[in-house]
Formats: sequence, C-alpha cells, structure tokens
Amino acid sequence: MAHWQGYELLQAVDVVAGYPGRPSVLHGVSIEVPTGGFVGILGPNGSGKTTLLRALAGVIRPARGHIRLDGQDLTPLSRQALARRMAVVAQETHLAFDYSVLEVVMMGRYPHLATFEIEGPEDFSIAREAMRATGTLQLQERQFATLSGGEKQRVIVAAALAQISGAADDGILLLDEPTVALDLAYQLELGELLRERQRRVPLTIAVSTHDLNFAANLCRTLVLLKDGHVLAAGSTGDVLTSEHIRELYDVEADVTRHAPTGRVIVIPVRRSPARSQS
Amino acid sequence: MRTCPGGDGGNGVKNEGTKLTKTYEEKLLRTIRRCGMLRCGRMVWSSFLFVRLRSLRFFVLISVLSVTSFAGTAGSQTVPSRPSRIISLIPAVTEMLFAIGAGPQVVAVSSFDRYPPEVTKLQRVGALLDPDVERILSLRPDLVAVYASQSDLRTQLERAKIPVYVYSHAGLADVFVTLQQVGERVGHARAAADLARSIQSRLDAIRRRVAGRARPRTLVVFDREALTLRGIYASGGVGFIHDMVGAAGGDNVFADVQQQSVQATTELILARRPDAILELRGDPITADMKSKEIEVWRGLASLPAVRNSRVFFLDDQKTVVPGPRVAEGVDLIAHTLHPDAFK
Amino acid sequence: MTVALARRLTLTVSGFGLLAVAAILTSPLIGSTHISLRRAFDRAIPFADNVDAQIFFIARLPRTLAGALVGSLLASAGVVFQGLLRNPLATPFTLGVSAGAALGAMLAITFSWSFAWAGVSAAAAASFLGSLAAVGIVYALARARHRGLSTNVLLLAGVTMNAFFSALILFVQYFADFAQTYRILRWLMGDLDISSYQPLLSALPLLIVSFVSFAWLARPLNLLSLGDESAETRGLNVVRAQRTAFVSASLATGAAVSVGGPVGFIGIVVPHLVRLIVGPDHRLVLPASALFGAAFLVGCDVLARTVMSPVELPVGVITALIGGPFFLWLLVRKR
Repeated sequence: MAHWQGYELLQAVDVVAGYPGRPSVLHGVSIEVPTGGFVGILGPNGSGKTTLLRALAGVIRPARGHIRLDGQDLTPLSRQALARRMAVVAQETHLAFDYSVLEVVMMGRYPHLATFEIEGPEDFSIAREAMRATGTLQLQERQFATLSGGEKQRVIVAAALAQISGAADDGILLLDEPTVALDLAYQLELGELLRERQRRVPLTIAVSTHDLNFAANLCRTLVLLKDGHVLAAGSTGDVLTSEHIRELYDVEADVTRHAPTGRVIVIPVRRSPARSQS
Repeated sequence: MRTCPGGDGGNGVKNEGTKLTKTYEEKLLRTIRRCGMLRCGRMVWSSFLFVRLRSLRFFVLISVLSVTSFAGTAGSQTVPSRPSRIISLIPAVTEMLFAIGAGPQVVAVSSFDRYPPEVTKLQRVGALLDPDVERILSLRPDLVAVYASQSDLRTQLERAKIPVYVYSHAGLADVFVTLQQVGERVGHARAAADLARSIQSRLDAIRRRVAGRARPRTLVVFDREALTLRGIYASGGVGFIHDMVGAAGGDNVFADVQQQSVQATTELILARRPDAILELRGDPITADMKSKEIEVWRGLASLPAVRNSRVFFLDDQKTVVPGPRVAEGVDLIAHTLHPDAFK
Repeated sequence: MTVALARRLTLTVSGFGLLAVAAILTSPLIGSTHISLRRAFDRAIPFADNVDAQIFFIARLPRTLAGALVGSLLASAGVVFQGLLRNPLATPFTLGVSAGAALGAMLAITFSWSFAWAGVSAAAAASFLGSLAAVGIVYALARARHRGLSTNVLLLAGVTMNAFFSALILFVQYFADFAQTYRILRWLMGDLDISSYQPLLSALPLLIVSFVSFAWLARPLNLLSLGDESAETRGLNVVRAQRTAFVSASLATGAAVSVGGPVGFIGIVVPHLVRLIVGPDHRLVLPASALFGAAFLVGCDVLARTVMSPVELPVGVITALIGGPFFLWLLVRKR
C-alpha cells in the first residue's frame, strides 16, 4: 500500500462549529492532517479541542466551513462508511452491560457488517491482530468492566484499530485526551504502541491532549488552539516554543531536549501575568 | 372507653360478633330472655337503667346489649319515639322506610337512591365510599342508617350523639329481619310486620308456582366489562341474589362457592354449562345496548344457554336491591326463567 | 471460533424456543377443571357437546397464546428499554407507558365506555390509546430539550409522566364506584382470560412490527451501551436507533398491556435471567428474552390458575411474587 506523503487526508477548512448553547466554539479553524501524519491538538480548557475532534470525526456538523476527507466533504458520507475509515478513542468508556473484551473489540467490526450479517472469520482475525498489537490478546475473555484503566484504554485502541483495519485507504485514528486516565507506565506504553503501529501499517493519527510532553514526543505536527482560533500550526519543532506556550497557557516554560534520549521536554516554570487577548 | 363494645349497633349478622363482658347486665338479660318475656323485660330493664344512668350514650349501649341478647340478629330499639329526621345511606333501607309509611320522616338519602320517586326531592349525602359527613351533621338527623363497614362515619356520628342504625348485607331471609328492625326503630313496627308478611306470602306463592318444574342451571352475572366477556362477576352461593334466583326456580351454577361473588373465568363458565344466563343490573340501559350485550355471549356459543337463546338481561333495580320489592324482583326472575309457569 | 456466535445463536434460539413451545403445549392441558385430551380432540363428538374441547379451545388455548404474546412482547421491550436507557434496571413501564395505559383503561371502566371494535374491548382500546398518548408526550418532551433524544431527558420525562398520570388516575378513581374500583384494581393486576382469538389477531400486526424492529436493533443496542458518541463514531445513526428503539418498544408494551393489562416484572426478570445465561450480546438476548418471556408468563399463568383452584389469582400477582424476591436477590448478590 503506497504512502501518499504530503497529501492532506483530513482537513478542516474554516470551520465554525459549536453546540446549541454555545454556537461558536470554533471560530473559523483550518487544520490539516497529512496522510501518515501524527498530529497533536493542544490548547487550554475550553479552547475547542474536543469540539474540533468531534467535527473531524463527523460527530458534529460545522455551522460554516467544511471537513474534508480525501479532499471530499464529509457530509454526504454515510456514518458507516466514515466509521470504516476513521475511529475515535474516547477519553473514557463506560459500558452499560458486562461485555467481554473480545466482544468490545469485535464491536469495532460492526461498521463492516451488513444489516443482519454476523462477524466472519476475517473479522475475528483482524480483531485478534489488533489485540496482539495492543498487548490485550490475553485479556480477551475477561469482562471489560473488571480491567484497569490502562488495560481498558488499550482494549479501546484495539477496537479502534480493528475498526479501521482492512480499509483500502489509510485509516485515521483520533484520540481524545488518551493519557488522562493512564498512569506513567501506560502512558509510555500507549505512545510506543501508536508509534509502532504507524510504522507497520498505513495509519494517520490525530491526538487532542493536555500533555505537552506526550505530544512533543509523538506528534510530528502540532496545532495550537486558543479560544477557538488556531494560534499556530506546523511541525513540532517550530511550533512548540516558549513563546507559544506563554501565549497558549499563560505559563512560562522551558523547552529543552533530554540529551540521553533526544526527547523534547517542556518544563513549566511559573504562571505568567495575564495579557490582553490578541 | 368505647361506648359500643361490639361497635356494630347490634345488627351483627354474619361477622360482626360482639364481645360482651360478663357484666351483671348481661346476666340479667339472659334470665329475662329465658323467661321469654322479652318486651316486658326490655322495658323494665331500660327504665331500671334509665334511672341509674343518665347520658344518651349509655342508652345506645343498652340498646346494643339488649339487641345482642337476641339470637345474633336482633334489631335495635332505643327510645319508644318516632325519629322525624331520618337519613338513610342504604337504598334498600330507604325503600323500606317509604314502604312502611315512614317516608315523611326521611330528610336525606344516598346518592344512589332512585326509588320511590319521592326521593328525587330529597337531599343527597353520598353513599358507601363517600358519605358527606358535614352535610349529614348539618341536617341534624335523629337517626342515620349506615353500612356496617362505615366505621369512621359511625364513630363521628356517635361522637355527635346521633343514633345510628347499622345495616349489613346478607341473604334473602335477612331482608325480613332488617325490615322488622327498621320498623321498630322508626315507630312503624306494625306496618313493617304486615309488609314482611305480605312479601313472604308473595314469595311463597312464586315458589309454589315454579315448584316441580325443571330448575335451569343459571349463571347469574351482576357485573362485567361492557360489550365484552371479560371481568365477569357472578353470584356465588351466598347472598340475597343467590337466594332470589333459588326462590325463582333457578339453580345457581356457583351454588357451591361460599362467596357472594365469583370472578367467573371462561373455563369455569364452560365447565359449569349454564342452561340460562341472567344478567342483573340496577341501572337501566337502552334496548339497543341490551341486545348488543346479549349478542356478546355468542363468543361462548357452545353454552347451552346461548344455544337455546336463554340469555336474559334484566336492568331493573328490583332485582338487585334487597328491599321491600324483592318479591317483585323474584317474580320478574321467575317469569324470565319459567315463562310457561305463568300462562 | 468465529462461528461461535452463529452457533451460540442457533443454540440459544433452539433452546429457549423449545422451552417456549413446551410451555405453550402443556399449558392448555392444565387447569382447574379436569379435561381429557382424547375427548377434546375427538372429532366425532359435536363441538357444542364436547365440553372438554370447548374448555381447551375457547378457555385455555387463547389464554395460553395471550400469555405467550404478552410475555414475549414485555420481555423483549424490557431488553430494548434497558439498552436504550443504558440501565439494566429499566422496565417497559419506566417511561410512563403503563401509566398512560392504566389511565385509558380506568377512564373506560369508570365512565362505562361501551364500544367494541374488531374484537377489542373499550378498555383495551382505551389503554392502547392511553399508552400512545403517554409515549407521545414523553417523546415530545425529550426532543424539545435536545437535538437527538437525550436519554437523561427521556428518563426524567418518563418519570414525570408516570407521576402526572398517577395523579390523574387518582382523580379518576374518585369518580369510580366500588365495583368499578375493584375492576380497575383487577385490571391492574393483569388478566389473560381473553376467551377468543380476536384480541390476539388485533395485536398481531403490532407484534410483527415490533419484532422486526427489535431484530434490526440488536447490534445498535450493543453499540449504544458504549455511550452515544462512541456509538456514533462506530457508524451508528444514534438518533435514528434511539427513536426506533423508543417507538417500537413502546408499541410493543402498549399492545401487550391492551391485551393482558400491565403485568409487572416480566420486563426486568426475564432479561436479567437471560443475560445471566447467554451474556450481554443483544443479538442473543433479544430472541432469547422473547422466547423465555413467553414461556415464563405462560408458566406464571398456569400457576395463577391452579394454585388456589378453582379461584384464579391474577397473573400479575404471581409475577410479582416471583419478581420481588428475584430483585432482592439481584441487589444482594456480589457482582
């Protein structure tokens, strides 16, 4: 499968979107998620990160502007067709009933099934493969509700991977605050998992997160959102600077590199005095 | 201390037993009864106690005691006076009052009373479930006929020192007892006795008419959902409806059930195979509805009663009120079940 | 191994199906009156003289079928409501359907409405209309507050409707006399003695529509249990699924209540028992609940008819006597 480098797989064009109570959370936001890219969406609370992610996923429709997949507007696509290309990993998943891990992962295959069709051997092998990739295969008979936070997250990632697997075109994975419920070990693991996966199969990833370090080390491009506007967008090295962090969070921070691993680290120092809105 | 120990005004027919304490009064009563000099004994005793006790409450107590000295079904007689402001919550009792000439003494009736026509001019004070206590009290009655189960009302009337006649549903025989009690209570004992005798003789005449004739197995329905065979309530082997049908020459299919009402399921009805179905209602319905209601029984077309077109719908109050018109009610039923006996 | 689901489905349906068939076949044989099956099926005896046949075909068979119909409708509607509201404690009556049905039936009984249409009595028709009215109001309320169908608002609207209709019921009850009150009380306890096949035929179209919808809803309900957004991003048209679930389950409940009255506990005991046996996948739970619900109610009706023979207990009393302790056990046991 050819990697189509530099081609914008998913883009938001001048999107104005919001909710019945707050109609414009996003004020004309344009971002690009390149094929095979790893994009991080950063911003303080209320900046519109989740709204943007929801718009990209097609869950909410923009009041103005477009979301484009493969250069074409999302709107005419059926939900199922969209779900076969794009999967969302939510921050937390609560199940109403006692599904097993395997059942949860298999639910990722539903968009590929016709109305009364039952999962076939191929679906099952895709699911197993996804679980192997996320290290959850041994949990398959366990009840989802009994897992730890990190294990649950990995299962949901496995389900998402199973969901977009087998797509003729690149699959897209959207993650909403994936590290919030995870402890340090699982945070590292998740990062490794995503990076590894991207190496092996065509996968485009977009993450919305608070965790600057996580974003710094995984994402190749960043989008900084403030008050529903794009503050800056571009490659991580260009975008993740002390100035931008000050503008974004009103926090004085040092951006350095950890010599042994080469990783970028952001160290918040103190709050900076609030400035007038730009 | 409660004034009425048994709390039932002495009309404890079936289940209102009175718990008497072994008092000196009771022993005296027992002796009097054995002597058979009831009337005399009562008057002596009443005056004796009238001297001894002054409040009206105790008169009620005495009448209770004297009443229960009868074989469980005694009527109650307090003062040998004629109450002039009577309220009756029971349609049967109302009919009795008017039939024995106490009509002018009645000031108010229940909301269900319809007979005799004079009652339409009278005030209404509610009924079994919703007696209007305020209105009852405001009418300053000197006798109120209430149901045995209306214990709250009775308590309130007793507190207001209003004499109470307690009525309870029972069989056909108790119509006469009630009639006598009511007659004595309102000062028309002679008329009541006469009326009782005439009803009895009429009933006997009907019984003679239908004697020796084949008695149809009769399903007696007194309630069901309109225009459908669901929720059928039939008369069991107890109660005045059962007695009336028996007197009219029919055999109640549920005679063996020791209850006043039976929820008759389809299976029960089919198993009992009634030869005749008698639907009894107190409220009149149009002829059109009547034929529709009879048609509904086609749903059980295999019943002998339906096959032989012996399904009858009687919407006359006479058949459901255990009052002075029972003989007419029995007559009506007898005509329905045995039309050829009256040619 | 992936044929596991297909095989489990076959096993489940045939297992519970056998149970249902067994219940339906044996129930007409049991009753307060002893009948001889041989006589009942003896064609030589004219039907009008064959009491055994009359009891079998007029009293017991329609009653058994009514029990199967009501039981399967209420059980599967219970599953759908639990999936829709994401709450295993939801019942078909949570959202006010039975209160509306009860009000309709009460009005018909208290004011002695007398009309019958297509074999459907006034009380049955009025109860169905009442349930539709309640459902319509709940739906309109839930939609007014949310673009789609917020399950929280749905729940609140349903509970409010229950309270409101209960108040109306008290009000109407004031106008009822003693006999009517007693009849209403008995209606509330459930009554399967329909004595004719007509109510079943009238309810059949609703049953078919409901079951077809439920079949379609099986996978969507699995997805809905993950949460609205998670379901949406997995390709489900959540609003459409919720609407379908709500309407079809309400229709099923309304139909069941109009045939046999609001028989309680089936909509929660049966789904729970079934989930304990087959797991939470709705593609198994729905058909199993429909079949087991039929068997369960038919069984309860047999008990109701025979426990205090020849007097019959209302079937709702039996389901409550079984359901209540079951609930307690559910709450007390360790998960």
